[in-house]
Amino acid sequence: MIDWEKLNHELITALIDVKVMPQQDLGFNAIAHKICQFKEVKSVSLVSGTYDLSVEVKGKTMKEIALFVAEKLAPIEGALSTTTHFILKRHKKDGVLYEENQDDKRLVIAP
Amino acid sequence: MNTNKYISDAVKKIPPSGIRKFFDLVTNSKDIISLGVGEPDFVTPWEIRKEGIETLRRGNTTYTSNLGLLELRIAISYFLKTHYDLNYDPEKEIMVTIGASEAIDLALRALLNDGDEVLIPEPSYVSYAPCVILTRGVPVFIPTDEKNNFILTPDDLRSKITSKTKALILPYPNNPTGAIMRKEDLEEIVDVIIEKDLIVISDEIYSELTYEGKHVSITSLPGMKERTILINGFSKAFAMTGWRLGYIAAEHEFIGAMNKIHQYTTICAPITAQYAAIKGIYECEEDIIKMRETYDQRRRFIVNGFREIGLDCFEPKGAFYIFSPIKKTGMTSQEFCKKLLKEEKVAVVPGNAFGPSGEGYVRVSYAYSIDKIAKALERIKHFAEKIL
Repeated sequence: MIDWEKLNHELITALIDVKVMPQQDLGFNAIAHKICQFKEVKSVSLVSGTYDLSVEVKGKTMKEIALFVAEKLAPIEGALSTTTHFILKRHKKDGVLYEENQDDKRLVIAP
Repeated sequence: MNTNKYISDAVKKIPPSGIRKFFDLVTNSKDIISLGVGEPDFVTPWEIRKEGIETLRRGNTTYTSNLGLLELRIAISYFLKTHYDLNYDPEKEIMVTIGASEAIDLALRALLNDGDEVLIPEPSYVSYAPCVILTRGVPVFIPTDEKNNFILTPDDLRSKITSKTKALILPYPNNPTGAIMRKEDLEEIVDVIIEKDLIVISDEIYSELTYEGKHVSITSLPGMKERTILINGFSKAFAMTGWRLGYIAAEHEFIGAMNKIHQYTTICAPITAQYAAIKGIYECEEDIIKMRETYDQRRRFIVNGFREIGLDCFEPKGAFYIFSPIKKTGMTSQEFCKKLLKEEKVAVVPGNAFGPSGEGYVRVSYAYSIDKIAKALERIKHFAEKIL
């Protein structure tokens, strides 16, 4: 487990909600497969709820991710809309808590 | 007015605490990294804290029975059974105290007549001898040393027994050395204990923090349950130091005697802590395991760190301290700690605060985050390069 925020070459992560138009016979699979081909995309999942695909994207800057969405993801045929959520701060990942610098409330010396 | 002349001889006889002196020094310093604390750095697990809050919300703010809530005693009985295969009747053989500290005091007061001797292996926790003195008993130290892994040997035990010896305090896993006594080590001293008709006050507060094998309680050995007053508590295993909650498991008559003192001096342990602890026993097993694993990771990290620096280090098998010999620096424990504090702003505790055999050692706590330990190690390394 690496806390990338502590390293200089950190990447920005965004979760993108994508609403799509399912295709006859293929359902959501064809478009999901198409999205999987982009190297910027780290994960793609079909989800229940108000949108259809949850796409995780990593990039060097917010602008890079914004351009990826505008130029590559949104124009895909069958993609109806996208909503991009940038990850601002991680508190816990894969079961590991990211440590905060909490004040030590203990006495400095104790038996 | 000469106030001093009104203070009892017993209190005057207690020497000033070695830790206290050092505490004053550290408190006046700035920007220090302290590895000097004898309590967990974890906050009490959330389920326990939540139950504390719920207990207050429900309005449970009364005294409890002197022995403690029966539900809690049942839970403690379950804990002792499942963790150490011990059998104690929650109705008659368990009582809840205000920390293990009160338990130590109660055990001594219930047992000792004026002049009775109590054996205390040292180095060990600072409160045993003062509590013996306050009970008008006589503390008799048994030095332990690194050659024997700081355990109590049958020969050392035998050498200090006189006709006045009443009890033995058995402080393992040990603060400050991190030593443990394995089953085979305990078996070796049991014969002497039974032959000499001693009562054992076994302080097992660090019993959940052993890193190479499970803790074995002396009370599980044949013939020992009837002559052992087992002391434990929630401070270390459940990171509940400030809740002040401990317990004693012992034969019915011992419990009765101790409860007599407890009912007149403290009435009962705080009810909020008692309810919260029940939750801890039944629902926080995973937290205990996770904390132990974290301590173990730090233990290995700091032991390696000290060895790389060139400071030896007795390999601790329990608690959360390393006890490092500093004799080769030519300094006393106090000198070493003061110099380290002054020059590198790292606080550790002089070993002689825990008894004369601790001279030539320092106690370093690893109840700190790896980050903090790493920073302290860098400073200690810098210090060692100057003095070694």
